[in-house]
Amino acid sequence: MNPIGSRSRSATGVTEALALLNTGDSRLVSIFGSIEDDGTRRVHSIIDVENREYRLLSERVAGAIPSATRITPAASWYERELHDLYGVEIEGHPNLQPLVFHEDWPAEIHPHASAPGMRDAPQGQYRFLKVQGEGVCEVPVGPVHAGIIEPGHFRFSVVGDTVLHLELRHFYTHKGTEALFEGAPVMSGVMLAESVSGDNCFAHAVAYCQAVENAFGISVPPRGRALRLIGLELERMLAHIADVGALCGDVAFVVPASYTARLKELLLQSSARFFGTRCWRGLALPGGMKHDLTQENARALGAIVAEVARDFAELARMILETPSVQNRFESTGTLKRDLARALGLVGPAARASGLKLDVRHDHPYGRYRTLALDIPHYNSGDVLARARIRIDETAIAARLIAQAVEDLPAGAIATSVPWQGSAEGFSAVESPRGELLYWIRVRDGYLRRCHIKSPSFQNWPALPMAMPGNIIADFPLINKSFNLSYSGCDR
Amino acid sequence: MIFDIAARSLASSKVLIPVEQLLGDCTGSRMPEVDPERLSFDAAIRAVEACPTSALQLEGRDGARQLVLNYGECTGCGNCVEASRGALRAAKRLVHCGVSKSALIRRWDIDSRNERFSDDPVAAGAASEIRALLGRALNIRQVDAGSCNGCEAEIGALTNPYYDLERFGIHFVASPKHADMLLVTGPVTHNMAEALKRTYEATPSPRLVVAVGACGCTGGIFAGSYAISGAVDQVIPVDGYIPGCPPTPAMLVTGILRLLGGRALKGL
Repeated sequence: MNPIGSRSRSATGVTEALALLNTGDSRLVSIFGSIEDDGTRRVHSIIDVENREYRLLSERVAGAIPSATRITPAASWYERELHDLYGVEIEGHPNLQPLVFHEDWPAEIHPHASAPGMRDAPQGQYRFLKVQGEGVCEVPVGPVHAGIIEPGHFRFSVVGDTVLHLELRHFYTHKGTEALFEGAPVMSGVMLAESVSGDNCFAHAVAYCQAVENAFGISVPPRGRALRLIGLELERMLAHIADVGALCGDVAFVVPASYTARLKELLLQSSARFFGTRCWRGLALPGGMKHDLTQENARALGAIVAEVARDFAELARMILETPSVQNRFESTGTLKRDLARALGLVGPAARASGLKLDVRHDHPYGRYRTLALDIPHYNSGDVLARARIRIDETAIAARLIAQAVEDLPAGAIATSVPWQGSAEGFSAVESPRGELLYWIRVRDGYLRRCHIKSPSFQNWPALPMAMPGNIIADFPLINKSFNLSYSGCDR
Repeated sequence: MIFDIAARSLASSKVLIPVEQLLGDCTGSRMPEVDPERLSFDAAIRAVEACPTSALQLEGRDGARQLVLNYGECTGCGNCVEASRGALRAAKRLVHCGVSKSALIRRWDIDSRNERFSDDPVAAGAASEIRALLGRALNIRQVDAGSCNGCEAEIGALTNPYYDLERFGIHFVASPKHADMLLVTGPVTHNMAEALKRTYEATPSPRLVVAVGACGCTGGIFAGSYAISGAVDQVIPVDGYIPGCPPTPAMLVTGILRLLGGRALKGL
C-alpha cells in the first residue's frame, strides 16, 4: 500500500502545512476535520511532497486557522467544507460562502451539533458573482438536468454565445456519508464506500480496504492483489470507454456512442457471469477479496477484455481521424498546465494538461508496486487531450488485465483482519477519475471517523476555469470531457 | 470515416435481448432468495445476523416463525448467502418489482419451508401487459434526487443495443413537462427535496412516479443520515418500486413494464 511518509501531530500542524505548501514541489491532497474524544476539533492536512511521499499534518484547533487558499487555490473548497461541517473559522479565505448547506437546509439539523462550540449550520442566500456590462446575460442550469445525469447547478454569464464566467453550486447530493461511517463496524464500511460514487464503486471499496489494511499493518495475499488489479483496471476501462462514447454523443456522432455502449455492456455482462455482479460491488473486503476466479474463467475474462480492447482501439482510431470530431474537440475547453497545477488537479484531466500524476506510479500500492507503469500525458489541456488520455489508458488497462489473468498467483485471496483493535491510517488509489484517498480512525473495531478525498471534489473547481471564451453550446462536451462525479464530490 | 464506423456497426452481430428473457431476470444484481429445501431456523438466524441493513428479519406471525426479506432494503451485499450455508442463494429471477411497497416483501415459513405468498405477478399477465403496453408511447424523465450514480449508470444502459427501451415505444425526455413517468433515484437529500417537488409539479397529469433502487424505495443505507429527507415516497407520491443496488437493466425493464401494464389495463 502506499507507505505513509511522516506524520506530525504537533501543536503547529496547520502552520507546518502552510510552510510546506509554500515550497515548490508540494501538492495539496486534502484538508479535513475530526472531533477528538474531549470534543475539541482537529484539522488534518495531507500533502504530496515531490510526487512520492504523502505527508499528514494535524493540529488541535480552538480558534480560527489561517487560510491556505491564498497559497494554493486547491485549498478553497476544503476550507469551505471544514467551515460548514466543523464550524472552524478560516482566516483570510477570499470567499467563505456555504458550500454544503443550501438555503432549504432544515434549520434544526446540524451534523456535528454534539461538539461543544459548534456553530449553527450556515444559512442565508448564496451570492453568485455578478458579471456586469452591456449585453451580459445570466443562464442558470440545473440542479435537474436534461439527461440521465446527476444534479448540480451551473450559473453562466454570457455575451451572445460566449461564456464570460461560470460558477458552480453543487452538493445537491450531499448525503452525510462520512458521518454514516462513524460508529459502523470496520467490515460494514466497505458497503458505504461502494455507494460514495457508484460508477467507481470498486476503486472506493479498495481505497477503503487499503486504509484499514494500512492502519492495522495487514498485507493482502498476492492473489488478492492481482484480483484487485483486474477489478480496478476493468472499472477504468468501463469508465473511459463510456466517456469516449459520451463525448461522441455530445458532438452528435451517435454511431460510435452506441458502439461504445455495446462494448461497455459486454464487460458488465462478463462481470456478472464471472463474479455475480455487474458493477463489482460486494467483492472487496479488508484483507483481500471475497470472490475468487477459476483459471478457466480468468482466461475467458481475459479473452473478452482483449476483444473489447481491440474493437475499441480500432473505433477510437476512426473517431480521432474524423474531421468533424477533430473540429469540435481541438482547442475546446482548454485548461493550461499552470492553472491545473494551482488547482491541484488529479486524474486524466491533470494528465491531459501536462501534469504527470498517477497514484499507481507515484505512490504504488498492491500489485502496482511490482509493475513498471507507462503514464501517458498530453500538454494541450483541451477536450481532445482528455479524450486521447482515456483512449491510451484503456489500452494500457487491457494490457494490465491480460498480464494479471495470464499470471494469477496461487494461494489465498484474503488474510484475516483483527476487528477489535484501534488504529488510524490512510491509503490512496488511482480511480478512473484520479487520486482517491480514504483516511480512517478506528476505535475498538468501530469507525470513529472516515474522510474521503474524492478526485471529483478536487477537480470540479477546474471546470469553470476551462469555460471562458468557449460557447455555451460546448459546455456539455467540456463538462463530459472532465466527467466528474457529483455524488463523489458531494458525498 | 463515418461510413467505416457505420459499416462496422451494421456488420456487428445483433445483440438485442428478447423481452421474454428480460422480464423477471435479475442475474448480476446479487439479490438473494431463499432455497426452501435448505431453510432452517439456524440458517435463518445466521442470515439475519449477517444482514448489515434491516432487509432480513425474523417474525412470529400466525403462530409460525417466518423469515422476511424486504427487497426494498436489500443492497445485495451477499453476506446472508455466505452466512446461511445454502439456505439463501443469489436469485436469477426476481419478479418483486412492486406496484405497492408490500410487493417488495417476501415471507417464508421456516418450519413448513413454504413461501407465504408465492404469487408470481409478472408471469401471470406478461403477454397481455406487453400487448397493452405497445398501444401507447411513454416518455420518461429521470430524476436523480441524491443517488450515488450507480442507478444512473444502469438506467443509461437501457438505451444500449442490448436492452433498447425504445423498442417498446418508451423514450427518455429532457423536460418533466414532456414526461408521463418520473424515474426517481436516490435517497432524497435535503438539498434536492425542493427540486424534486418542483419537478413533480411540472409533470402533467396523468403521471406515474417510480422509485428506483434500495435508496429510492426505502432510503437504503442512507436512511437516518442527517442529510436525507427520506425515501422518494416520503417527498412525492409514488406509484411503483424497483429494488436493487443498483437494479440491473432487466429489473428496470421489468418494473417499468409491470407498472404500465397494470395501469394500462385499468384504462389510464
